[in-house]
Amino acid sequence: MSTFWSIWIMALAVTNMGITLFLFLWGQRVEIPVLPDGTTGHVWAHGVLRESVRKLPRWWVWMSASMFAIGVVYLALYPGFGSHKGLLGWTSHGELARDVANNRATARGFDAYYLSVAPAELASNPAAVQLGERIFIDNCAACHGRHAQGNKLLGAPNLIDADWLYGGDDATVKTSILNGRHGTMPPLGEALGEAGVGNVANYVLGLSGAAHDAQAAAAGQPMFALCAACHGPDGKGNPALGAPNLTDTVWLYGGDLAAIKQTIVAGRSGVMPAWQSRLQAVDVHLVLTWMRAQSD
Amino acid sequence: MAKGYRYFEAIEKHAGALGVGIAIMVSLGGLAEITPLFMRAHEVSAEAGVKPYDPLRLAGKDIYVREGCYLCHTQMIRALRAETQRYGHYSVSEESVYDRPHQWGSKRTGPDLARVGGKYSDAWQQLHLMDPRAVVVESNMPGYPWLATEAIDAEDIKARMRVLRTLGDPYSESDIAAATQAVEGKTAMDALIAYLQGLGVANVAQADAPADAPSAPANAGAP
Repeated sequence: MSTFWSIWIMALAVTNMGITLFLFLWGQRVEIPVLPDGTTGHVWAHGVLRESVRKLPRWWVWMSASMFAIGVVYLALYPGFGSHKGLLGWTSHGELARDVANNRATARGFDAYYLSVAPAELASNPAAVQLGERIFIDNCAACHGRHAQGNKLLGAPNLIDADWLYGGDDATVKTSILNGRHGTMPPLGEALGEAGVGNVANYVLGLSGAAHDAQAAAAGQPMFALCAACHGPDGKGNPALGAPNLTDTVWLYGGDLAAIKQTIVAGRSGVMPAWQSRLQAVDVHLVLTWMRAQSD
Repeated sequence: MAKGYRYFEAIEKHAGALGVGIAIMVSLGGLAEITPLFMRAHEVSAEAGVKPYDPLRLAGKDIYVREGCYLCHTQMIRALRAETQRYGHYSVSEESVYDRPHQWGSKRTGPDLARVGGKYSDAWQQLHLMDPRAVVVESNMPGYPWLATEAIDAEDIKARMRVLRTLGDPYSESDIAAATQAVEGKTAMDALIAYLQGLGVANVAQADAPADAPSAPANAGAP
Protein backbone atom coordinates (compact mmCIF):
# COMPACT_ATOMS: atom_id res chain seq x y z
CA MET A 1 0.00 0.00 0.00
CA SER A 2 1.39 3.37 -1.00
CA THR A 3 2.07 6.06 1.61
CA PHE A 4 -0.69 8.21 0.15
CA TRP A 5 -3.40 5.60 0.61
CA SER A 6 -2.05 4.69 4.02
CA ILE A 7 -2.33 8.32 5.17
CA TRP A 8 -5.73 8.59 3.46
CA ILE A 9 -7.10 5.69 5.51
CA MET A 10 -5.49 6.85 8.76
CA ALA A 11 -6.81 10.38 8.33
CA LEU A 12 -10.35 9.18 7.61
CA ALA A 13 -10.31 6.74 10.51
CA VAL A 14 -9.05 9.36 12.94
CA THR A 15 -11.54 11.95 11.63
CA ASN A 16 -14.42 9.51 11.91
CA MET A 17 -13.55 8.40 15.42
CA GLY A 18 -12.73 11.98 16.45
CA ILE A 19 -16.10 13.36 15.34
CA THR A 20 -18.06 10.53 16.96
CA LEU A 21 -16.05 10.83 20.18
CA PHE A 22 -16.65 14.58 20.25
CA LEU A 23 -20.40 14.16 19.70
CA PHE A 24 -20.48 11.45 22.36
CA LEU A 25 -18.78 13.63 25.00
CA TRP A 26 -20.36 16.94 23.99
CA GLY A 27 -23.89 15.57 23.67
CA GLN A 28 -23.88 14.57 27.33
CA ARG A 29 -22.73 18.00 28.53
CA VAL A 30 -25.23 20.12 26.61
CA GLU A 31 -27.62 21.81 28.96
CA ILE A 32 -31.11 21.31 27.65
CA PRO A 33 -33.59 23.95 28.84
CA VAL A 34 -36.27 22.35 31.00
CA LEU A 35 -39.75 23.74 31.57
CA PRO A 36 -41.34 23.65 35.04
CA ASP A 37 -43.23 20.45 34.12
CA GLY A 38 -39.90 18.63 33.51
CA THR A 39 -40.18 18.52 29.70
CA THR A 40 -38.41 20.37 26.89
CA GLY A 41 -41.69 21.79 25.65
CA HIS A 42 -41.27 19.60 22.57
CA VAL A 43 -44.64 17.98 21.87
CA TRP A 44 -46.09 15.60 19.32
CA ALA A 45 -49.52 14.34 18.48
CA HIS A 46 -51.37 17.44 19.68
CA GLY A 47 -49.72 17.35 23.08
CA VAL A 48 -50.27 13.65 23.79
CA LEU A 49 -46.53 12.96 23.59
CA ARG A 50 -44.11 15.26 25.38
CA GLU A 51 -40.32 15.01 25.54
CA SER A 52 -38.95 14.85 29.06
CA VAL A 53 -35.27 15.31 29.92
CA ARG A 54 -33.35 12.47 31.53
CA LYS A 55 -29.70 11.65 31.79
CA LEU A 56 -28.52 8.80 29.56
CA PRO A 57 -28.53 5.47 31.43
CA ARG A 58 -25.08 4.68 32.80
CA TRP A 59 -24.94 1.23 31.11
CA TRP A 60 -25.53 2.91 27.75
CA VAL A 61 -22.76 5.43 28.35
CA TRP A 62 -20.33 2.69 29.34
CA MET A 63 -21.28 0.53 26.39
CA SER A 64 -20.72 3.39 23.96
CA ALA A 65 -17.42 4.32 25.60
CA SER A 66 -16.22 0.71 25.35
CA MET A 67 -16.93 0.75 21.59
CA PHE A 68 -14.26 3.43 21.19
CA ALA A 69 -11.83 1.42 23.30
CA ILE A 70 -12.53 -1.77 21.33
CA GLY A 71 -12.07 0.10 18.05
CA VAL A 72 -8.70 1.48 19.08
CA VAL A 73 -7.48 -1.87 20.42
CA TYR A 74 -8.63 -3.64 17.26
CA LEU A 75 -6.80 -1.19 15.00
CA ALA A 76 -3.69 -1.63 17.14
CA LEU A 77 -3.75 -5.45 17.07
CA TYR A 78 -5.05 -6.23 13.57
CA PRO A 79 -4.41 -4.82 10.08
CA GLY A 80 -6.80 -1.98 9.21
CA PHE A 81 -5.17 1.32 10.19
CA GLY A 82 -3.48 2.23 6.91
CA SER A 83 -0.31 0.26 6.36
CA HIS A 84 -0.02 -0.64 10.07
CA LYS A 85 0.19 -4.43 10.03
CA GLY A 86 -1.15 -4.92 13.53
CA LEU A 87 0.80 -5.93 16.61
CA LEU A 88 -0.33 -9.57 16.31
CA GLY A 89 0.97 -9.86 12.73
CA TRP A 90 -2.28 -11.60 11.73
CA THR A 91 -3.00 -12.35 8.06
CA SER A 92 -5.72 -14.53 6.53
CA HIS A 93 -3.06 -16.45 4.58
CA GLY A 94 -1.07 -16.98 7.77
CA GLU A 95 -4.14 -18.31 9.52
CA LEU A 96 -4.82 -20.65 6.61
CA ALA A 97 -1.24 -21.93 6.69
CA ARG A 98 -1.57 -22.54 10.43
CA ASP A 99 -4.89 -24.35 10.01
CA VAL A 100 -3.49 -26.53 7.23
CA ALA A 101 -0.35 -27.33 9.26
CA ASN A 102 -2.41 -28.20 12.34
CA ASN A 103 -4.67 -30.42 10.28
CA ARG A 104 -1.72 -32.16 8.64
CA ALA A 105 -0.11 -32.72 12.02
CA THR A 106 -3.29 -34.30 13.34
CA ALA A 107 -3.89 -36.33 10.19
CA ARG A 108 -0.32 -37.58 9.85
CA GLY A 109 -0.74 -40.40 12.34
CA PHE A 110 -3.99 -41.55 10.76
CA ASP A 111 -2.58 -41.26 7.25
CA ALA A 112 0.43 -43.42 8.12
CA TYR A 113 -1.84 -46.02 9.67
CA TYR A 114 -4.31 -46.04 6.78
CA LEU A 115 -1.54 -46.39 4.22
CA SER A 116 -0.08 -49.31 6.13
CA VAL A 117 -3.26 -51.37 5.82
CA ALA A 118 -4.41 -52.84 2.49
CA PRO A 119 -7.72 -51.37 1.25
CA ALA A 120 -9.54 -54.71 1.35
CA GLU A 121 -8.64 -55.04 5.04
CA LEU A 122 -9.15 -51.34 5.85
CA ALA A 123 -12.67 -51.69 4.39
CA SER A 124 -13.80 -53.03 7.78
CA ASN A 125 -12.83 -49.71 9.43
CA PRO A 126 -15.95 -47.50 9.33
CA ALA A 127 -14.00 -44.25 9.81
CA ALA A 128 -11.71 -44.97 6.87
CA VAL A 129 -14.65 -46.00 4.70
CA GLN A 130 -16.50 -42.80 5.59
CA LEU A 131 -13.48 -40.68 4.67
CA GLY A 132 -13.16 -42.53 1.39
CA GLU A 133 -16.83 -41.97 0.63
CA ARG A 134 -16.46 -38.21 1.16
CA ILE A 135 -13.57 -38.06 -1.27
CA PHE A 136 -15.41 -40.30 -3.74
CA ILE A 137 -18.55 -38.15 -3.71
CA ASP A 138 -16.63 -34.93 -4.29
CA ASN A 139 -14.35 -36.24 -7.02
CA CYS A 140 -15.43 -39.53 -8.57
CA ALA A 141 -19.23 -39.66 -8.29
CA ALA A 142 -19.80 -37.14 -11.09
CA CYS A 143 -18.84 -39.78 -13.68
CA HIS A 144 -19.02 -43.13 -11.86
CA GLY A 145 -22.25 -42.29 -10.03
CA ARG A 146 -23.04 -41.80 -6.37
CA HIS A 147 -22.95 -45.54 -5.77
CA ALA A 148 -20.03 -46.27 -8.14
CA GLN A 149 -22.43 -48.07 -10.44
CA GLY A 150 -20.91 -46.44 -13.55
CA ASN A 151 -22.54 -44.47 -16.35
CA LYS A 152 -23.11 -46.01 -19.78
CA LEU A 153 -23.59 -42.59 -21.40
CA LEU A 154 -19.96 -41.77 -20.62
CA GLY A 155 -18.56 -45.27 -20.63
CA ALA A 156 -17.61 -44.73 -16.99
CA PRO A 157 -17.20 -48.23 -15.59
CA ASN A 158 -18.91 -49.76 -12.59
CA LEU A 159 -16.27 -49.76 -9.84
CA ILE A 160 -17.79 -52.25 -7.45
CA ASP A 161 -18.21 -55.27 -9.69
CA ALA A 162 -15.44 -57.80 -10.28
CA ASP A 163 -14.74 -56.59 -13.82
CA TRP A 164 -11.72 -54.32 -14.43
CA LEU A 165 -10.55 -52.82 -17.71
CA TYR A 166 -6.93 -52.25 -16.72
CA GLY A 167 -6.70 -54.69 -13.82
CA GLY A 168 -8.28 -54.60 -10.40
CA ASP A 169 -5.32 -55.00 -8.06
CA ASP A 170 -4.62 -52.12 -5.68
CA ALA A 171 -1.55 -50.82 -7.49
CA THR A 172 -3.23 -50.78 -10.91
CA VAL A 173 -6.39 -49.06 -9.70
CA LYS A 174 -4.27 -46.43 -7.93
CA THR A 175 -2.31 -45.89 -11.14
CA SER A 176 -5.59 -45.44 -13.02
CA ILE A 177 -6.71 -42.82 -10.50
CA LEU A 178 -3.44 -40.89 -10.24
CA ASN A 179 -2.43 -40.90 -13.92
CA GLY A 180 -5.83 -41.14 -15.57
CA ARG A 181 -6.74 -43.36 -18.53
CA HIS A 182 -7.83 -42.76 -22.08
CA GLY A 183 -9.68 -45.71 -23.56
CA THR A 184 -9.88 -45.36 -27.33
CA MET A 185 -11.91 -47.51 -29.69
CA PRO A 186 -11.31 -46.41 -33.29
CA PRO A 187 -14.33 -45.89 -35.58
CA LEU A 188 -14.63 -48.91 -37.90
CA GLY A 189 -17.84 -48.05 -39.74
CA GLU A 190 -16.06 -47.24 -43.00
CA ALA A 191 -13.69 -50.18 -42.83
CA LEU A 192 -16.46 -52.74 -42.23
CA GLY A 193 -19.32 -51.24 -44.23
CA GLU A 194 -22.92 -51.25 -43.06
CA ALA A 195 -23.49 -54.99 -43.47
CA GLY A 196 -20.10 -55.77 -41.96
CA VAL A 197 -20.89 -53.71 -38.85
CA GLY A 198 -24.12 -55.67 -38.34
CA ASN A 199 -22.33 -58.99 -38.82
CA VAL A 200 -19.49 -58.17 -36.42
CA ALA A 201 -21.98 -56.81 -33.87
CA ASN A 202 -23.88 -60.10 -33.99
CA TYR A 203 -20.65 -62.04 -33.63
CA VAL A 204 -19.76 -59.92 -30.56
CA LEU A 205 -23.21 -60.57 -29.08
CA GLY A 206 -22.58 -64.28 -29.60
CA LEU A 207 -19.27 -64.08 -27.73
CA SER A 208 -21.09 -63.36 -24.50
CA GLY A 209 -23.83 -65.87 -25.19
CA ALA A 210 -26.49 -63.21 -25.86
CA ALA A 211 -29.31 -63.74 -28.35
CA HIS A 212 -28.02 -63.03 -31.85
CA ASP A 213 -28.41 -63.77 -35.54
CA ALA A 214 -26.21 -66.87 -35.97
CA GLN A 215 -25.91 -66.46 -39.75
CA ALA A 216 -24.75 -62.84 -39.44
CA ALA A 217 -22.38 -63.80 -36.65
CA ALA A 218 -20.81 -66.48 -38.83
CA ALA A 219 -20.31 -63.89 -41.55
CA GLY A 220 -18.82 -61.49 -39.00
CA GLN A 221 -16.34 -63.93 -37.51
CA PRO A 222 -13.56 -63.47 -40.13
CA MET A 223 -13.89 -59.68 -39.87
CA PHE A 224 -13.38 -59.90 -36.11
CA ALA A 225 -9.66 -60.21 -36.91
CA LEU A 226 -9.74 -56.41 -37.12
CA CYS A 227 -10.99 -56.26 -33.52
CA ALA A 228 -8.67 -58.98 -32.25
CA ALA A 229 -5.67 -56.64 -32.30
CA CYS A 230 -6.99 -55.05 -29.12
CA HIS A 231 -9.72 -57.36 -27.84
CA GLY A 232 -7.69 -60.55 -28.46
CA PRO A 233 -8.50 -63.39 -30.88
CA ASP A 234 -10.95 -64.92 -28.39
CA GLY A 235 -12.45 -61.48 -27.50
CA LYS A 236 -11.36 -61.71 -23.91
CA GLY A 237 -9.87 -58.22 -23.94
CA ASN A 238 -6.46 -56.86 -23.03
CA PRO A 239 -5.92 -55.13 -19.68
CA ALA A 240 -2.67 -53.57 -20.94
CA LEU A 241 -4.71 -51.53 -23.44
CA GLY A 242 -7.85 -51.30 -21.38
CA ALA A 243 -9.64 -53.20 -24.17
CA PRO A 244 -12.79 -54.68 -22.60
CA ASN A 245 -13.54 -58.37 -22.38
CA LEU A 246 -16.36 -58.98 -24.90
CA THR A 247 -17.23 -62.45 -23.67
CA ASP A 248 -18.72 -61.38 -20.32
CA THR A 249 -22.02 -59.62 -19.69
CA VAL A 250 -20.48 -56.31 -18.57
CA TRP A 251 -20.90 -53.49 -21.11
CA LEU A 252 -19.36 -50.05 -20.80
CA TYR A 253 -21.65 -48.34 -23.31
CA GLY A 254 -24.53 -50.79 -23.44
CA GLY A 255 -24.79 -54.36 -24.68
CA ASP A 256 -27.77 -54.34 -27.05
CA LEU A 257 -27.30 -54.63 -30.81
CA ALA A 258 -27.84 -50.90 -31.45
CA ALA A 259 -25.29 -49.82 -28.83
CA ILE A 260 -22.69 -52.29 -30.06
CA LYS A 261 -23.22 -51.16 -33.67
CA GLN A 262 -22.85 -47.54 -32.57
CA THR A 263 -19.59 -48.39 -30.79
CA ILE A 264 -18.21 -50.10 -33.88
CA VAL A 265 -19.34 -47.42 -36.35
CA ALA A 266 -18.29 -44.27 -34.48
CA GLY A 267 -15.71 -45.61 -32.04
CA ARG A 268 -15.47 -44.56 -28.42
CA SER A 269 -13.21 -42.27 -26.44
CA GLY A 270 -13.44 -42.67 -22.70
CA VAL A 271 -11.41 -40.27 -20.58
CA MET A 272 -10.55 -40.79 -16.95
CA PRO A 273 -8.84 -37.57 -15.81
CA ALA A 274 -5.57 -37.76 -13.85
CA TRP A 275 -6.11 -36.97 -10.17
CA GLN A 276 -2.55 -36.63 -8.94
CA SER A 277 -2.72 -32.85 -8.73
CA ARG A 278 -5.94 -33.02 -6.68
CA LEU A 279 -5.66 -36.13 -4.52
CA GLN A 280 -2.90 -37.22 -2.18
CA ALA A 281 -1.74 -40.81 -1.84
CA VAL A 282 -3.82 -41.34 1.28
CA ASP A 283 -6.93 -39.92 -0.43
CA VAL A 284 -6.57 -42.43 -3.26
CA HIS A 285 -6.00 -45.20 -0.73
CA LEU A 286 -9.18 -44.24 1.13
CA VAL A 287 -11.26 -44.02 -2.05
CA LEU A 288 -10.09 -47.50 -2.95
CA THR A 289 -10.98 -48.62 0.59
CA TRP A 290 -14.52 -47.30 0.12
CA MET A 291 -14.78 -49.11 -3.22
CA ARG A 292 -13.60 -52.35 -1.65
CA ALA A 293 -16.15 -51.92 1.12
CA GLN A 294 -18.95 -51.55 -1.46
CA SER A 295 -18.02 -54.65 -3.44
CA ASP A 296 -18.01 -56.89 -0.37
CA MET B 1 -30.16 30.01 26.17
CA ALA B 2 -28.27 27.21 27.88
CA LYS B 3 -24.72 26.24 26.97
CA GLY B 4 -24.38 24.73 23.45
CA TYR B 5 -28.08 24.02 23.15
CA ARG B 6 -28.40 26.08 19.97
CA TYR B 7 -26.18 23.62 18.05
CA PHE B 8 -27.67 20.58 19.72
CA GLU B 9 -31.13 21.75 18.72
CA ALA B 10 -30.00 22.40 15.17
CA ILE B 11 -29.00 18.77 14.78
CA GLU B 12 -31.76 17.17 16.80
CA LYS B 13 -34.75 19.06 15.48
CA HIS B 14 -33.90 18.92 11.78
CA ALA B 15 -34.31 15.36 10.55
CA GLY B 16 -32.98 16.25 7.09
CA ALA B 17 -29.79 17.75 8.52
CA LEU B 18 -29.40 14.76 10.83
CA GLY B 19 -29.73 12.45 7.81
CA VAL B 20 -27.06 14.41 5.92
CA GLY B 21 -24.79 14.24 8.96
CA ILE B 22 -25.24 10.46 9.22
CA ALA B 23 -24.60 10.07 5.49
CA ILE B 24 -21.34 12.02 5.85
CA MET B 25 -20.18 9.86 8.75
CA VAL B 26 -20.99 6.62 6.93
CA SER B 27 -19.26 7.89 3.79
CA LEU B 28 -16.07 8.42 5.77
CA GLY B 29 -16.03 4.67 6.40
CA GLY B 30 -16.75 3.93 2.76
CA LEU B 31 -14.03 6.28 1.55
CA ALA B 32 -11.50 4.59 3.83
CA GLU B 33 -12.52 1.01 2.99
CA ILE B 34 -13.56 1.09 -0.64
CA THR B 35 -11.58 3.82 -2.41
CA PRO B 36 -8.05 2.44 -1.85
CA LEU B 37 -9.02 -1.07 -3.06
CA PHE B 38 -10.91 0.39 -5.98
CA MET B 39 -7.86 2.41 -7.04
CA ARG B 40 -5.47 -0.47 -6.36
CA ALA B 41 -7.47 -2.78 -8.60
CA HIS B 42 -5.98 -1.00 -11.57
CA GLU B 43 -2.48 -1.77 -10.32
CA VAL B 44 -2.99 -5.56 -10.42
CA SER B 45 -1.15 -6.90 -13.44
CA ALA B 46 -1.08 -10.31 -15.02
CA GLU B 47 1.80 -12.50 -13.92
CA ALA B 48 3.80 -14.48 -16.43
CA GLY B 49 1.63 -17.38 -17.50
CA VAL B 50 -1.67 -15.53 -17.12
CA LYS B 51 -2.61 -14.79 -20.72
CA PRO B 52 -5.70 -13.11 -22.14
CA TYR B 53 -8.42 -15.50 -23.27
CA ASP B 54 -7.92 -17.19 -26.61
CA PRO B 55 -10.88 -16.61 -28.98
CA LEU B 56 -12.79 -19.81 -28.21
CA ARG B 57 -12.44 -19.44 -24.42
CA LEU B 58 -13.34 -15.76 -24.69
CA ALA B 59 -16.57 -16.78 -26.44
CA GLY B 60 -17.13 -19.36 -23.71
CA LYS B 61 -16.57 -16.81 -20.96
CA ASP B 62 -19.21 -14.52 -22.46
CA ILE B 63 -21.67 -17.43 -22.70
CA TYR B 64 -20.95 -18.24 -19.05
CA VAL B 65 -21.88 -14.66 -18.16
CA ARG B 66 -24.85 -14.54 -20.54
CA GLU B 67 -26.37 -17.73 -19.15
CA GLY B 68 -25.94 -16.45 -15.60
CA CYS B 69 -23.74 -19.29 -14.39
CA TYR B 70 -22.40 -16.87 -11.75
CA LEU B 71 -25.81 -16.89 -10.09
CA CYS B 72 -25.06 -20.34 -8.69
CA HIS B 73 -21.30 -20.80 -9.14
CA THR B 74 -18.51 -18.69 -7.68
CA GLN B 75 -14.97 -18.56 -8.98
CA MET B 76 -13.34 -17.55 -5.75
CA ILE B 77 -11.71 -20.03 -3.43
CA ARG B 78 -11.38 -18.31 -0.08
CA ALA B 79 -8.31 -18.60 2.14
CA LEU B 80 -9.99 -21.07 4.48
CA ARG B 81 -8.85 -24.65 5.02
CA ALA B 82 -12.23 -26.17 4.23
CA GLU B 83 -12.12 -24.37 0.87
CA THR B 84 -8.52 -25.02 -0.14
CA GLN B 85 -8.87 -28.67 0.87
CA ARG B 86 -11.79 -29.16 -1.46
CA TYR B 87 -11.06 -26.77 -4.32
CA GLY B 88 -7.29 -26.18 -4.26
CA HIS B 89 -5.13 -23.07 -3.82
CA TYR B 90 -7.07 -19.96 -2.84
CA SER B 91 -7.87 -17.53 -5.67
CA VAL B 92 -5.64 -14.53 -6.25
CA SER B 93 -6.59 -11.33 -8.04
CA GLU B 94 -3.96 -11.83 -10.76
CA GLU B 95 -5.94 -14.80 -12.06
CA SER B 96 -8.94 -12.61 -12.83
CA VAL B 97 -7.28 -9.65 -14.56
CA TYR B 98 -8.82 -10.60 -17.91
CA ASP B 99 -12.28 -11.27 -16.50
CA ARG B 100 -14.64 -8.42 -17.24
CA PRO B 101 -16.63 -8.61 -15.08
CA HIS B 102 -14.81 -10.83 -12.59
CA GLN B 103 -16.69 -13.97 -11.52
CA TRP B 104 -15.82 -14.10 -7.82
CA GLY B 105 -19.03 -13.89 -5.84
CA SER B 106 -20.18 -15.35 -2.58
CA LYS B 107 -23.36 -17.11 -3.68
CA ARG B 108 -22.95 -20.85 -4.13
CA THR B 109 -25.79 -23.14 -5.08
CA GLY B 110 -23.40 -25.27 -7.11
CA PRO B 111 -19.71 -25.78 -6.36
CA ASP B 112 -16.96 -23.23 -6.88
CA LEU B 113 -15.53 -23.45 -10.40
CA ALA B 114 -12.27 -21.50 -10.05
CA ARG B 115 -10.17 -24.65 -10.54
CA VAL B 116 -12.61 -27.02 -12.23
CA GLY B 117 -10.50 -27.21 -15.42
CA GLY B 118 -9.44 -30.80 -16.11
CA LYS B 119 -11.43 -32.21 -13.22
CA TYR B 120 -13.86 -33.87 -15.62
CA SER B 121 -13.52 -34.95 -19.23
CA ASP B 122 -14.89 -32.91 -22.15
CA ALA B 123 -17.46 -35.64 -22.74
CA TRP B 124 -18.66 -35.30 -19.16
CA GLN B 125 -18.95 -31.52 -19.48
CA GLN B 126 -20.96 -31.90 -22.68
CA LEU B 127 -23.31 -34.51 -21.23
CA HIS B 128 -23.66 -32.51 -18.01
CA LEU B 129 -24.53 -29.26 -19.80
CA MET B 130 -27.07 -31.03 -22.01
CA ASP B 131 -28.77 -32.75 -19.08
CA PRO B 132 -27.10 -32.54 -15.66
CA ARG B 133 -29.14 -35.43 -14.28
CA ALA B 134 -27.72 -37.78 -16.89
CA VAL B 135 -24.52 -37.80 -14.85
CA VAL B 136 -25.42 -36.41 -11.41
CA VAL B 137 -28.82 -37.80 -10.46
CA GLU B 138 -29.38 -35.44 -7.52
CA SER B 139 -28.30 -32.27 -9.39
CA ASN B 140 -30.71 -29.32 -9.51
CA MET B 141 -28.80 -27.49 -12.24
CA PRO B 142 -30.80 -26.65 -15.36
CA GLY B 143 -29.76 -28.11 -18.72
CA TYR B 144 -28.41 -25.88 -21.50
CA PRO B 145 -29.12 -27.99 -24.59
CA TRP B 146 -29.52 -25.01 -26.93
CA LEU B 147 -25.80 -24.27 -26.66
CA ALA B 148 -25.07 -27.38 -28.75
CA THR B 149 -26.73 -25.93 -31.84
CA GLU B 150 -25.66 -22.29 -31.46
CA ALA B 151 -22.81 -21.28 -33.76
CA ILE B 152 -20.05 -18.88 -32.73
CA ASP B 153 -19.74 -15.79 -34.91
CA ALA B 154 -16.04 -15.14 -35.59
CA GLU B 155 -16.58 -11.48 -36.53
CA ASP B 156 -18.35 -10.89 -33.25
CA ILE B 157 -15.49 -12.45 -31.28
CA LYS B 158 -12.95 -10.36 -33.21
CA ALA B 159 -14.90 -7.20 -32.40
CA ARG B 160 -14.85 -8.16 -28.71
CA MET B 161 -11.10 -8.74 -28.85
CA ARG B 162 -10.59 -5.29 -30.37
CA VAL B 163 -12.68 -3.70 -27.62
CA LEU B 164 -10.73 -5.61 -24.96
CA ARG B 165 -7.52 -4.36 -26.56
CA THR B 166 -8.64 -0.78 -26.04
CA LEU B 167 -9.08 -1.70 -22.36
CA GLY B 168 -5.48 -2.91 -22.21
CA ASP B 169 -5.62 -6.64 -22.99
CA PRO B 170 -2.51 -7.46 -25.02
CA TYR B 171 -4.12 -8.94 -28.16
CA SER B 172 -1.99 -8.57 -31.29
CA GLU B 173 -3.40 -8.12 -34.81
CA SER B 174 -2.43 -11.72 -35.60
CA ASP B 175 -4.20 -12.95 -32.44
CA ILE B 176 -7.37 -11.27 -33.65
CA ALA B 177 -6.96 -12.51 -37.21
CA ALA B 178 -6.49 -16.07 -35.91
CA ALA B 179 -9.92 -15.95 -34.27
CA THR B 180 -11.65 -16.79 -37.54
CA GLN B 181 -9.99 -20.18 -37.67
CA ALA B 182 -10.13 -20.76 -33.92
CA VAL B 183 -13.91 -20.60 -33.70
CA GLU B 184 -14.76 -22.01 -37.13
CA GLY B 185 -17.41 -24.70 -36.88
CA LYS B 186 -17.48 -24.40 -33.09
CA THR B 187 -20.70 -24.25 -31.13
CA ALA B 188 -21.48 -22.30 -28.00
CA MET B 189 -21.21 -25.65 -26.21
CA ASP B 190 -17.63 -26.16 -27.45
CA ALA B 191 -16.74 -22.63 -26.38
CA LEU B 192 -18.20 -22.99 -22.91
CA ILE B 193 -16.46 -26.34 -22.39
CA ALA B 194 -13.14 -24.85 -23.55
CA TYR B 195 -13.64 -22.02 -21.07
CA LEU B 196 -14.51 -24.37 -18.20
CA GLN B 197 -11.58 -26.67 -18.95
CA GLY B 198 -9.24 -23.67 -18.76
CA LEU B 199 -10.44 -22.51 -15.33
CA GLY B 200 -7.62 -22.82 -12.85
CA VAL B 201 -5.36 -24.18 -15.57
CA ALA B 202 -4.85 -21.55 -18.27
CA ASN B 203 -5.09 -18.50 -16.02
CA VAL B 204 -2.62 -19.56 -13.34
CA ALA B 205 0.92 -18.26 -13.13
CA GLN B 206 3.37 -21.17 -13.13
CA ALA B 207 4.76 -20.17 -9.73
CA ASP B 208 1.30 -20.41 -8.18
CA ALA B 209 0.27 -23.56 -9.99
CA PRO B 210 0.76 -26.22 -7.28
CA ALA B 211 -2.55 -26.32 -5.52
CA ASP B 212 -2.91 -27.28 -1.92
CA ALA B 213 -4.07 -30.78 -2.67
CA PRO B 214 -6.71 -32.05 -0.31
CA SER B 215 -5.66 -34.29 2.51
CA ALA B 216 -7.88 -36.54 4.52
CA PRO B 217 -9.72 -34.67 7.24
CA ALA B 218 -8.50 -35.43 10.73
CA ASN B 219 -11.84 -36.19 12.27
CA ALA B 220 -11.72 -39.94 11.86
CA GLY B 221 -10.83 -42.41 14.52
CA ALA B 222 -8.24 -45.12 14.01
CA PRO B 223 -9.16 -48.40 15.60
